[in-house]
Amino acid sequence: MSGREFFQDRYRQLGWELKEVNLRQAIRINNTNARGKNLVERLNSLGVVLQKIPFLQSGYWVLDSKVSAGATAEYLLGLYSIQEAAAQIPVSLFSDLRGKRVLDCAAAPGGKTVQLADAMQNSGAIVALDVDKRRIAAVGNHLERCSITNTVVYLLDARQVPSLNLRFDRILVDAPCSGNFAGDRDWFKNRTLKDIQCNAALQKDILTKASECLSNHGELVYSTCSLEPEENELNMDWAIKNLNLQIQETHSSYGQNGLTEVFGKKLDSSVAKCLRMWPNETQGFFAAKLKRSQPHDR
Amino acid sequence: MTAKAVTNFVATFGVDIILNPDLIVEKNGRFYLVNVALRPLMVRPDFFYAGLFLGKTKEGKFFPSFHLLSILAKEHAQRIVVDRKAAWLFICGRPLFASSVVRVFGSAKRNTNTLVLNEFGECLGFGRIVGDLSAKTSRDEVAVRNVSDVGDFLRRER
Repeated sequence: MSGREFFQDRYRQLGWELKEVNLRQAIRINNTNARGKNLVERLNSLGVVLQKIPFLQSGYWVLDSKVSAGATAEYLLGLYSIQEAAAQIPVSLFSDLRGKRVLDCAAAPGGKTVQLADAMQNSGAIVALDVDKRRIAAVGNHLERCSITNTVVYLLDARQVPSLNLRFDRILVDAPCSGNFAGDRDWFKNRTLKDIQCNAALQKDILTKASECLSNHGELVYSTCSLEPEENELNMDWAIKNLNLQIQETHSSYGQNGLTEVFGKKLDSSVAKCLRMWPNETQGFFAAKLKRSQPHDR
Repeated sequence: MTAKAVTNFVATFGVDIILNPDLIVEKNGRFYLVNVALRPLMVRPDFFYAGLFLGKTKEGKFFPSFHLLSILAKEHAQRIVVDRKAAWLFICGRPLFASSVVRVFGSAKRNTNTLVLNEFGECLGFGRIVGDLSAKTSRDEVAVRNVSDVGDFLRRER
């Protein structure tokens, strides 16, 4: 079960008609580093034409550029990061991050880790995990470039996070996922329903272990760049029924409500509070904010 | 070779900074300065990265991080400010000519290290002074040999 027509039919059943999208490059200003530096004007003087992204605090579309946005002095000095617009949303769903203890479960290549640290103004502390030895080097480079000082990075499978014996005020589970066609032209060729089911199972495992480490009044944001409900709404429906979690409002001005009926299966009505972003102005994305339903015993 | 490696290097820029050795951690020849909030989270010895990356040692020589260099720039270390074109060439790994040096802070003696700053006062790296930075002599001779620049972040990804 794979191929463009197979997935197109699935999306149609979910209420969305497949269409091609042309993704625009986006940047996110690292406010901690760029404060008082008139970054937008500086980039403009280099021929980088920016437009504020209305639904993001520090995000800009790159409308046109005479230089590579990933090779300016301003980029190399960590004044901004290149980060797809929808990918900037999950971290923005957390309430106040300053001074908090934060877990980033699947950190590589480190874009969201830097976004967390920037929102925290380098206060508090972040534990960033990734299981991929090759990709974790990118996290180190990203942290160094952006002068991040509040993060410790471990080469560790997120499913082993309870072994750290730590509790966190904020947890980001930007889960390994199947991705979507908007950023991968061969996606329909390469993906099968079986892959999606495997990823969904892995995501449940990560969610289970991560939620064990969430403090009583903490917040957990779950996100994927998959369009498949098995990795998104169905996982959230499962999480609220099995992990002592409840879904919170995101108050996002972009995206649509999570689906509450998937291929004939009715889900908990609170799944509507999730954020589903079909590819349009951004790539496809899904995000949900969760809290504990009941406090931990210990 | 922990805090000493760092402070010895820093001294070559005419700056004296105090680092708490208890907050410096080393992993595979790489040195990090961690803060008190981060320390309790370092529950495993096999971390990959932690806190503020200070630099690394290789064959007994210390190579500073760009973050350490930017801290030194704020501590009034020996430094030069270069014009926009030279700043870009420096990031591309090129040396600096005397004609591109806009301002000099410090003694600027030959065979000493100097930080290289752009017009905004941001540290782009450091170099070795090999020529005369003053305007009285030839302004087209190589004045500063590039030792390390932030373009390294791009070169690492190749």
